[in-house]
Amino acid sequence: MAPLTPYTFFQCPCSEPSTLGRPADGSSGAGAGAEPDADDEDRAFDPRAPRSNYSLYPLEYLLYCEDCQQIRCPRCVAEEIVTFYCPCCLFEVPSSNLKSEGNRCTRSCFQCPVCIGPLATTSLESHPDPNLLAAPDNSAAPHSGPYILTCSYCNWSSTEIGIKFDKSNGIHAQLAKLRNGGTTRLTAKERKERRKDLLQGGGPATRTAEAAVDGRDLDVDTQFANLKAFYQNQLADSSSGGNGLSSLGDMGFASPSSLSRIMSIYTGGSLHDKRSKLRIGTMREALDSDEGLKIANLDESGAIEKLQEEGYDATVSAEQISNQTPNLGEAPLHGRGRFTSELRPIPYLLRTKRSKRCPICRHIISKPEAKVQATRFRIRLVAGSYIPSITIRPLNTPEASPGAPSDTLQPLKPVQFLLTFKNPIFETVKVTLATPAKTPGRFASKVTVLCPQFEIDANTDVWDEALKDGDKDKRRRRGEDGPHQAEAGKIWERGRNWVSLVIEVVPASLRLDLLALTNPTGGQEVDTGPLREDEDLLEIPMFVRVEWEADAAGDEIGSAPNKDKEGREKRELAYWCVLGLGRVSQS
Amino acid sequence: MSPARPTSTIAELRASIADKRTTHPRLHEHSPRVTTMSRRPPRGEYIETDTGNKVARKATLVGTQNIMLGGKTVIQPEVMIRGDLVRSVQSASAASSSGPPANNTAVSIGRYCFLSRASCLRPSGRLYKGAFTYMPLRMGDHVFVGHGSVVQAASVGSHVHIGARVVVGELAIIKDYVRVLDDSIIPPNMVIPSFSIVAGQPARVIGEVPEGGHEAFELRDLYKTVGNNPHPVPT
Repeated sequence: MAPLTPYTFFQCPCSEPSTLGRPADGSSGAGAGAEPDADDEDRAFDPRAPRSNYSLYPLEYLLYCEDCQQIRCPRCVAEEIVTFYCPCCLFEVPSSNLKSEGNRCTRSCFQCPVCIGPLATTSLESHPDPNLLAAPDNSAAPHSGPYILTCSYCNWSSTEIGIKFDKSNGIHAQLAKLRNGGTTRLTAKERKERRKDLLQGGGPATRTAEAAVDGRDLDVDTQFANLKAFYQNQLADSSSGGNGLSSLGDMGFASPSSLSRIMSIYTGGSLHDKRSKLRIGTMREALDSDEGLKIANLDESGAIEKLQEEGYDATVSAEQISNQTPNLGEAPLHGRGRFTSELRPIPYLLRTKRSKRCPICRHIISKPEAKVQATRFRIRLVAGSYIPSITIRPLNTPEASPGAPSDTLQPLKPVQFLLTFKNPIFETVKVTLATPAKTPGRFASKVTVLCPQFEIDANTDVWDEALKDGDKDKRRRRGEDGPHQAEAGKIWERGRNWVSLVIEVVPASLRLDLLALTNPTGGQEVDTGPLREDEDLLEIPMFVRVEWEADAAGDEIGSAPNKDKEGREKRELAYWCVLGLGRVSQS
Repeated sequence: MSPARPTSTIAELRASIADKRTTHPRLHEHSPRVTTMSRRPPRGEYIETDTGNKVARKATLVGTQNIMLGGKTVIQPEVMIRGDLVRSVQSASAASSSGPPANNTAVSIGRYCFLSRASCLRPSGRLYKGAFTYMPLRMGDHVFVGHGSVVQAASVGSHVHIGARVVVGELAIIKDYVRVLDDSIIPPNMVIPSFSIVAGQPARVIGEVPEGGHEAFELRDLYKTVGNNPHPVPT
């Protein structure tokens, strides 16, 4: 396996038990009533617990709320949408359009249904014969022919589903009017107009024309519209008779009069009720396709023949069908696309620019600019500019490992890692580290932090530092004389705004037979199951406490600036983090 | 790119190499005994220009008049930049036959770019008004092109990290702050909006760059680690 680069994950306080405010559950667990709360505080953070998977993030993903002085993670921030735009044409879509036209691009941006790559509009027209008398420079627009969509990755084109366009822009609207195979389809507006003509006494001519169009293959949209119109007519008809039920047509079946009528049907069958039942006009169901009836076509011999002719490659894969938008132009259910000739180009889903808010104090912690082309952020409070970042690299002392460093850690052999803490803020911070002596989990490795408490200098300007003291080596406390030894209680190296120190790790042995022997709690059952996923990963939970002095928040404008020691308040921040060092080899 | 920013063409590069040559080239064929005539500084792997560009000697740059480098760009060995695929100027109007070379840019690269080994920058071409012409390839600042990648895009924005063995198809447009992961193939004509993480064959947007990840795109430190007198890699 490839060597694991060491990583650092930070835990957001939003998932800590103390903040979750769970009631002391004495009913569950070991039965200790008041114990769970105290237990949670003392128990080290277990990076292998399934729940902790959702609360650990690398530093780039974390934000920081200045008012709460706390870390915020992508899971706990509240997001609000600033702009919607199409990721292909980068045009902004106003949110009013979103409600009417949906969350997809309605211009000419489409994705290939076969490979989900971008589709380009190309002209089908062949070049005019140069032998003919034509303008030599060919500047006359050749783009007048029919247009098709082509995919430049898999060479799919819309001719494979038989669709051609007349204009090169506004493809979404043109596509709505076309079916696979080139036949046209009526849109909702056109159908409404046809119905209006029909009602105004267009005569039998238009009626037959419409029946011919809808006929056997009634598509989803048309069927729904017909059925809805039919039911509305039925409701209007049935409510015209009956006593005191004139309000039924308006309110439907929820009106008090209709409810009382329905209830009277159930309570007793007196003559009075039978009469009232007769007076109500009976509603009937749809009788033909004009009213919205669609007879299911259960004969699939056509589809089976097609499958036998064209083979497996002509069918649609599950991923392709899941990316398709519902095709309102085809018959439902039994017309659901199973062949690649029934696929349609997919309009692009719109993308958003979002601003993020702290869930507790409701301050905005991240806000991009509204314009699509702008990449700046108006507000961008990231954790990387407030908490020290941690980088890890193995420390190869010449005495320890004469051979080449291996990809995996050797069990039971102590190895040293160098942690570098970089301070991003403009104040000196004091860092306190705490790790459990043994890592949690079935195979516990021993961990020793050689210097658990240290200070990192402020992140001053590089120029200030250079001008202040020309002799930079004075600040670097490197081992001037003698070998550079990793001593307990001492840091390894110090720089302008960073400190590096050593931790020593003895990886656990992954042998299952030794597990029973090394188990400290002898009475309990030992889990000697096979090695589970990621159990050979060496992860160290570490509790970091950062303290620094900051100027007291000066909210009062009129007060004189009090820069004395009393004006500075101590601030501290504490969080769990997980250092992933590598995999232990299974020998 | 503002005109005030100093750019250096490869013509400048040539001039700086010519200055460094002080001995007759034939002398190198003889025995390695140092002659008393002149002492040359050892040939470094990179040529460093005044504007801070570091171009490896083993890089293949074709058509150098049409290549514009912003300052502090690193070009590693075995890189190929095709400056010869340039738009053919159609002199319909009364333009001079040899137009100024600045108008005929094939490839223009911004500041602090890093082109890794065996990568290739190639302008893309298409049919424009009936004739096949090449569109200039424009790259922004802080662009990292990984090992063995081929970039044929129409334009690449700033702060873009392209991984290894990536193929960027013709006329693709990559906006700012984009991370292209290794082994992706970006199909032709694709537009990748800002702050995306892109991977796959064909490439799809699989994630967004978090707000804290903007500083990871800066290539200033990487620039210092390369060259004839490289700084050590920061830990």
